[in-house]
Amino acid sequence: MTDRDDIDMLAAEYVLGTLDPEQRQSVTVRRLREPELDRAITDWEARLSPLNAHYDPVAPSRDLFAGIRARIEEARQAVSDQVPNLADFAKLKRRLVAWRAGALGAGAIAASLIVAILATDVNVPMRDGKFVAVFHSDDTQPAFVMSVDIDTREVTVRLVEASVPDGKTYQLWIVTEQTGPKPKSLGLLENIANPTTKQLGDFDPAMLRNATFGISLEPEGGSPTGQPTGPAIHGRLISVEH
Amino acid sequence: MTSIRDLENLLKQTLNGNTDAFERLYHATSAKLFGIVLRILKNRAQSEDALQDIYVRIWQKAGDFEPGRASIITWMATIARNRAIDIHRRQQPEADMYDTDIDTVASPHSAFDQMAITDEMRQLEYCLNGLEGDRQQIVKLAYLEGWSRAELAERFVQPVGTIKTWLHRSLRQLKECLGT
Repeated sequence: MTDRDDIDMLAAEYVLGTLDPEQRQSVTVRRLREPELDRAITDWEARLSPLNAHYDPVAPSRDLFAGIRARIEEARQAVSDQVPNLADFAKLKRRLVAWRAGALGAGAIAASLIVAILATDVNVPMRDGKFVAVFHSDDTQPAFVMSVDIDTREVTVRLVEASVPDGKTYQLWIVTEQTGPKPKSLGLLENIANPTTKQLGDFDPAMLRNATFGISLEPEGGSPTGQPTGPAIHGRLISVEH
Repeated sequence: MTSIRDLENLLKQTLNGNTDAFERLYHATSAKLFGIVLRILKNRAQSEDALQDIYVRIWQKAGDFEPGRASIITWMATIARNRAIDIHRRQQPEADMYDTDIDTVASPHSAFDQMAITDEMRQLEYCLNGLEGDRQQIVKLAYLEGWSRAELAERFVQPVGTIKTWLHRSLRQLKECLGT
């Protein structure tokens, strides 16, 4: 049996639903960083989804949407509470200016890209174990702010001030030693009215701390090439542990 | 009547934080998704909890939907099925009692409910019919009812390893028959 066949059967059984909970969990994590597995899963979903026609519709209770609406509002609020607000940026900005003087010219990142890396002792009111990155589109205004929870491997990106030109989408990227020199897409930031949460799978925490994140402006639907094609801004994580 | 295009538009509007559009999407799709969840979990109260969870996820993941990759129906149904199977896999078998008060919606009113018989469905049924012995039933019980390898092993009085072998053979045969 080849590796490819193993992956295909793992994907097939994942879609069929016959894996045990641990295997299912492992597949949901692995597919985020294994494009071949992810593609195999999508292919099997397409093959087996005609079976969905066998599910008869059943009306749920009438009042169910009220609960969903409440939970959406709650989730929005929770995310807002986690991401530092604008008032914190005055503090961050001073650090940034000081840092930038010494850091530009490090050479690792193309000169056309504006980089934001912040010092580690900035006092941002967030819980321990969290990291934050700020994406600047110019010297004055942060464009996006991103928080990362290393424990849950979740990033949350919030738009601070950036406009979305018609027919364009922002796309989030990551570069780590783990994934090699080419940026890997973490998905689109289409829902800019709300903070967007993305899963980072099982990226190694040490790698994550040293990762470079990028946000690029792409055609609607995302980069056609799988690599950033539009103007990009980059950020690196800083610890917000006290 | 809500078309696929309408559903995609509603999902797109929810990306801008439009909860009213999301509510319309919910009303057009929830009976189908509830049918999926209830068939797997068999318990109405638990299925309604799961359905709420599923729509919160759909709201959060709306930006991940790529029209070229899967139909919106498949995309939403996949989120619902995955959630239901995750819950079902983690719970004790005895919680699995059939609930009697299940009302099937009589008149389909959206593209979701209707899901016209497509060429893909005919092709898949043709290929399923080509599976030997009990295997068509095994595949359908797994997919539609969320049965695990162990549950299938008990029902068909086979070792779990044999069920796994049967599943893999059946899935390979289906893939070859479908040619996709």
